[in-house]
Amino acid sequence: MRRAFLLLALMGSAASAQFPGLSRRPSAPPPPVPLLMGIDGLRAEFAAQSGSDKVYFGGDSAVLTAPARATLAAQAQWLRRHPEIIVRIEGHADPSDTRDHALAVAARRAEEVRDYLVLLGVPAAQLSTVSWGKERIAVMGASQDALALNRRAVTVLVR
Amino acid sequence: MSPHSVSLFSIALALFAAPATAQQAAAVIAIPPLTTPDEKATGAGSPAAVAWQASQLIASDLRTTAELVPVGPDQKDYYSYPEVTAPTFSRWRAKGAKFVLTGFVRSRPDGRLTVGCYVYDTVKGRELGRTGFVVAPEDWRRAAHKCSGIAYTAATGAPGIFDTRIAYVAESGPPGARVKRIAIMDGDGNNQSFVTAGDTIVLTPRLSPKAENLAFVSYVDGQANVRIVNLASSEQRPLVAGSGGMSFAPRFAPDGRRIVFSMQAGPNTDIYVADSSGGPAQRLTAAPGIDTDPSFSPDGARIAFESDRSGNQQIYTMAADGAGQRRISFGGGWYAAPVWSPDGEWIAFARRIPGVGSRIGVMKPDGSGEKLLTDGALDEGPSWAASSHELIFQRAGPDGRPALYRVTLAGGDARKVVTPQDASDPDWSGVVD
Repeated sequence: MRRAFLLLALMGSAASAQFPGLSRRPSAPPPPVPLLMGIDGLRAEFAAQSGSDKVYFGGDSAVLTAPARATLAAQAQWLRRHPEIIVRIEGHADPSDTRDHALAVAARRAEEVRDYLVLLGVPAAQLSTVSWGKERIAVMGASQDALALNRRAVTVLVR
Repeated sequence: MSPHSVSLFSIALALFAAPATAQQAAAVIAIPPLTTPDEKATGAGSPAAVAWQASQLIASDLRTTAELVPVGPDQKDYYSYPEVTAPTFSRWRAKGAKFVLTGFVRSRPDGRLTVGCYVYDTVKGRELGRTGFVVAPEDWRRAAHKCSGIAYTAATGAPGIFDTRIAYVAESGPPGARVKRIAIMDGDGNNQSFVTAGDTIVLTPRLSPKAENLAFVSYVDGQANVRIVNLASSEQRPLVAGSGGMSFAPRFAPDGRRIVFSMQAGPNTDIYVADSSGGPAQRLTAAPGIDTDPSFSPDGARIAFESDRSGNQQIYTMAADGAGQRRISFGGGWYAAPVWSPDGEWIAFARRIPGVGSRIGVMKPDGSGEKLLTDGALDEGPSWAASSHELIFQRAGPDGRPALYRVTLAGGDARKVVTPQDASDPDWSGVVD
């Protein structure tokens, strides 16, 4: 059963690879492909084709940087092709922020990402947000690099 | 007054003579062992056993303060029952003690114990305070904490911090997936218990003034929201139903009936107040930006909070209805998490100074007289002791693991508070009735 799904998934991606132009036509997205790939496979494909499922922010900031906008444009392209996928945008803060401000600033980061994806044509109904504040630290350490890697918003495919 | 009349005490009773003026240096208080009248039993729970344990706990309580240095208990300092209310002051003066605490433990026909304590000024030969408590033998610790409380109040004029509760978040597990549970312990670290099971992330427990109810933030509904739990019945409910955005940073008003908190809508976070028993929330701030960490003044008339409306986090105050919002912090860096002291004199905060770290400090409610009290790299979440002389806070170590620390307003090094697991977000209650 599982092997059959994987086979179909491979055929699916092979098919789209033969028609790369299809994914560059935002005004007319193809009809939804039946959900044959498992969520883990979809997540991997999403991250690979978008460049990343994460965008990063400056200290105490929810402003989208140019690299973040580029990543989100690629994410939006994939998400428009998969309107059946429910997405949760998870905002995070770095551990140098105080507990409650971290919650609020991480919420703001998630909202910024959601708003930008909607601006790029992703249906708002497809997107929800949650703030994890500084409760889900990705990279330990107090170095500037470690802090920067925690100030993130992750586009999580839910189902 | 003879010790016998204390048996009339049915509940805690404290009568204070004029408290001594605030001490410059720590004063010595003698803690000879509490006595027991005409009782031979010595087993666990007997008056003699409880008297000795209580004396040790009183000394241990007072040793945690900056204002008092306890001496004793020492078995050879035994005194007779009538001497409880007629101590030989010269004996304690000779030992350098400015104060002496005497008391007794006596069994009652119903199996409970009467504990009485008296505090005297050895120089003036005058009683400064007394308290009496009837307790089940297994509840002797609370009676002892009450005795410590009258000694502390007699010496400093401030409420004792011993019969209090501390709520905090107990943490375990790897950094990226911490298991967090709301825990509560007595002010001295005893009687640890858990309020939540650890199956969902919980944050910032805040006790009502008498530690009957607890407000906290839970992800049980998939996002951060304030919940209220009654600690006696364990009954739990959301503070605001179906707000859409998240709600967080709750804190009780001094009357215990209202709660101030933050609610987020889109990129904006504002401060609201709601009845702790339910009902609609009333919005108090409307500035664009993140307004959070509200804390009432002890008279309930004003609220301190943090806002980044100026560009970064700073401390503001306003009237309890939201009028007259005014910035009071102007030093470098970020100021966060203001908490008004129970005596109304100070606002404690966490100050983030770029390149230096995050420190705990205090300032007057008008913003003057700022002083930093700690020197950790990542200190945050200050909460006042009932005495207003001391703060508990969270300090993260180099490995990011948090622990609780206490620091006195007078200065000196912060002292670690021992907890069974890593601990964050401390909240120290007022004196429990």
